[in-house]
Amino acid sequence: MKQDRHAQVRGLKYEVAVSIILLSLLLLSCAPSHSNRIVIGSKNFTESLMLGELLAQLIEARTHLKVERRFYLAGSYICQQAILAGRIDIYPEYTGTALTAILKQKVGGDRAGVYRRVKSEYETRFGLTLGPPFGFNNTFAMEIRGDDARRLKLKTLSQAAAFTPQWHAGFGYEFMERPDGYAGLAAAYGLHFAAPPRIMDLGLLAPALKNHQIDTAAGNATDGLIPTLDLFVLEDDRHYFPPYEAVSVVRQQALQQHPELAQILSDLGGKISDQEMQKLNYALDGQHRDAQDVAHEFLRSKGLVP
Amino acid sequence: MNVFHFFLQHHKEILELALEHLWLVGISTLLAVLIGIPLGIISAHWPVWNKPVLGTANVIQTVPSLALFGFLLPVPWIGARADRLAILALTLYALLPVIRNTYTGIRGVDPSVVEAGRGMGLTDRQLLLHVELPLAVSVILSGVRVAVVVSVGLATIAAAIGAGGLGEFIFRGLAMVNNELILAGAIPAAILALSADFGLGWLERRLQPR
Amino acid sequence: MEPTPTNAPVIEFRAVVYTLPNGQQLLHNMNLQVQRGETLVLLGRSGSGKTTTLKLINRLLTPSGGEVRVNGAITAKSDVIRLRRSIGYVIQDVGLFPHFSVERNIGLVPRIEGWPADRIHARVEELLQLVELDSKIASRYPHQLSGGQRQRVGVARALAADPAILLMDEPFGAVDAITRDQLQREFLALQRRLNKTVVFVTHDLREALRLGSRIALMEAGQLVTVLPPQDFLRSTDSLAAAYVQAFREGWDSPAKGGT
Repeated sequence: MKQDRHAQVRGLKYEVAVSIILLSLLLLSCAPSHSNRIVIGSKNFTESLMLGELLAQLIEARTHLKVERRFYLAGSYICQQAILAGRIDIYPEYTGTALTAILKQKVGGDRAGVYRRVKSEYETRFGLTLGPPFGFNNTFAMEIRGDDARRLKLKTLSQAAAFTPQWHAGFGYEFMERPDGYAGLAAAYGLHFAAPPRIMDLGLLAPALKNHQIDTAAGNATDGLIPTLDLFVLEDDRHYFPPYEAVSVVRQQALQQHPELAQILSDLGGKISDQEMQKLNYALDGQHRDAQDVAHEFLRSKGLVP
Repeated sequence: MNVFHFFLQHHKEILELALEHLWLVGISTLLAVLIGIPLGIISAHWPVWNKPVLGTANVIQTVPSLALFGFLLPVPWIGARADRLAILALTLYALLPVIRNTYTGIRGVDPSVVEAGRGMGLTDRQLLLHVELPLAVSVILSGVRVAVVVSVGLATIAAAIGAGGLGEFIFRGLAMVNNELILAGAIPAAILALSADFGLGWLERRLQPR
Repeated sequence: MEPTPTNAPVIEFRAVVYTLPNGQQLLHNMNLQVQRGETLVLLGRSGSGKTTTLKLINRLLTPSGGEVRVNGAITAKSDVIRLRRSIGYVIQDVGLFPHFSVERNIGLVPRIEGWPADRIHARVEELLQLVELDSKIASRYPHQLSGGQRQRVGVARALAADPAILLMDEPFGAVDAITRDQLQREFLALQRRLNKTVVFVTHDLREALRLGSRIALMEAGQLVTVLPPQDFLRSTDSLAAAYVQAFREGWDSPAKGGT
C-alpha cells in the first residue's frame, strides 16, 4: 500500500512531465514553414485579387507545385508581414506603395528608377525580390469625357491645362488632402479651374463626369469603368504622379527552392496593359463574373496556358 | 451542411492557421509564465513590490488590445515583424492573471505550514521550491488557464496586424462577406479555447493539495 | 553546535528586549537560563510574550536588544539555518506539509541534509514507533489523519534529525481533553527516554505542572518568576498565587481583575 501511494504521486509527476514535453514539441513544430507548396497572397480589392489569381493559375498550370491562395489580406502591411514570416511566398504590390508605405521613403523619379530602387532595397533588407512589372501603372488618372478628348484633340495634361478655366473638376477627399495630390498637380501643370474643385465620394465621380456635372476627375488608371463609360485618361507628360507599377513581390528563398518560378514571373511580365487591366477589373466589378473564369480566359488569350 | 463540407475541403489550410495560432499562444504564454511567476513570487514575499507589480500589470490589461497592437507598431525591432509584436502584446496581456494567481497562491499557503518549514531550518529557496510552489501550483495553473484562454481570443485580433493565425480567416471572410470562411476561423478558435480550458482545468484539479 | 560544558546553560537570555516595528514592546529585559535536559515551561496569558520568547530561540524573531545564546553562541551571529536544523520545532497547528506523505513530512530535513534513502526510511520507522504510531501510517497524507495523529507526526518530524533542543508552542492545545492527556503522557515517556532540552509554551497551569521541570511565569512581556512545580504551588508571588487559586477552583487562568 505504501508503494501504491508513492506510485500515485510519481505517476502524476510523469503525467505532468510528459504533457510538458508534448506541448513543447507541439510548440516547436508549430513554427510556420512549408516546403512543397507555394502560397500566394493578395490584398483585399479586385485588382489585387485578379493578379493573385493569374499568378496562382499560371503556376498551377505550368509547374508541379501545389498552390495555396491566401487572398483578401487587409493591406500592404499585412502582406509584408506575411511574406517576411514566410506565410506567403508571392503577392502583387505596386512600386510606389512599396517605396512609401514599406520602405518609408519619398517617392520621386521615373518608373524604371523607382522599380530599381525598390528591388534593390527589398533584396538587401528583406530577402525579397521583385518580378518584372506586369505592364500597367495603377497611378492617379486625370479623366475627361471621350467626346471632349476627341473634339479638342487632347492627349496630355499639358494640353488640357489651357482649357481648365472653362472646366469644373471633381476629386475624392484624399486626393484633395494629399500633398502630392491636387495642390501639387495644379502647380505642376498650371491648372486654373473655373471654380474650386468639388469634393465627392469616389463612386460618384464617374457618373458626375458622364452627366456633365464635372468636366474632369481624378480616378485610378486601371478603373474598370473607364472604357465602358467612354472616359479618356490624360497622359501625365510631366510625370507628376508617382509610378505605381504592379509587380509581384517574391521570397528569395522560394525562388531558390523552386527556380521554375522565375520563368513564370517573367512570362507574365509586361503582359497586362492599362487597358487590359481595366477590362479585367470591369469583368469582376461591373459584370460580376467569377475571378477564376476571368483569369483562365485571360491566360488562354495570351497563350500562357493551353 | 455547407459549413461542414467547407471544413473538410479546406482542412489543410485550417490546420495550418490553427498551428500558427497555437504557436502565437504557446510562445506568449510560456514567456508570461517565465516572467510572471517570478514576479508573483517577489510580490508575495516582499509586499513593497505588490502594488507596483500588480498595478502595472493591471494598467496593461486595461489598454484595449487593438490599441496596444497599434502602440507597439512604431517600436523598432518589435514593430518590424507582426509575429514579434503579437507575441509581445499577448505576453503582456497574459502577465496579470499569472502574476496575480502566483501571488494569491503563495499567500494562500497555510501560514502554519510556512512557519513550521522555516522553523525546521528550510532556507527561503527550499521553502519556495519544496513547500510554497507545490502547494500554490493549482492556483497558479488556474491563472495560466485564464491567460491561455484570453490569449486564444486575442490572437484572433492579432491577424488584423498581420500576425496570421485563425483570425486571418475571420478578417478575410469579413472582407469577402463569406460566412464559411469566418466560421473556419471562429469555430477552431473556440475549440482551441475550450480544449485549453478543459485540459488545464483537469490538470488543476489533479494538482490540488488535499 | 559544539557541545558546551555540562553545567553551562543550553539556552540563555541576557537582557533581551523585543520591540515591534510600530514601537510596541513585547519583551522587557528578559533574563533566563535553560539547563540541559530540563523541560522549561513558559506559562502565561495570551500577550504575555511566551511565544515571542520561544521564537527568539530559533531566531524566527531577532532580539531588538540584549543577547540570546544557544549552546554559548549568540543566535544573531550564528548561521540561522544550522541553528534551526539543530532545534526541533512543534507548533499548535502542527503545519504538516499537506502535499507530502507522513514519511516525507518526517523525512524532509534528513533528505535536505543529504541522508541516504535507507537511513531516512529506517529513521522514519524508528520515530513512528517512538510516538506510538503504526508504521502503516507512513504512506498516509495529513488530511487522512486525526488531530492526535497529526500532532504525533509533528513531534516525530521535529525529532527527525535528533536535535538536542525541542521548542513546543502549545502543541497539545488543539485536541480534545482525552487525546491531550494521552499526548502529555507520551511526552513524559519520551522525555524520560530521550532527555532532550525542552522549552514548552502553554497557558494551562495543569499542563505546566505535569510536564515542566521548571515553570517560568510571564506577564506583559516580563518574566515574573521561575520555579519548579512544587514551589510554584506554594509561591507567594501574587500572579503565581492567582494562577494557583484559579487552578484549584477549576479554572485555567487568573480571574479577571487579577494582577
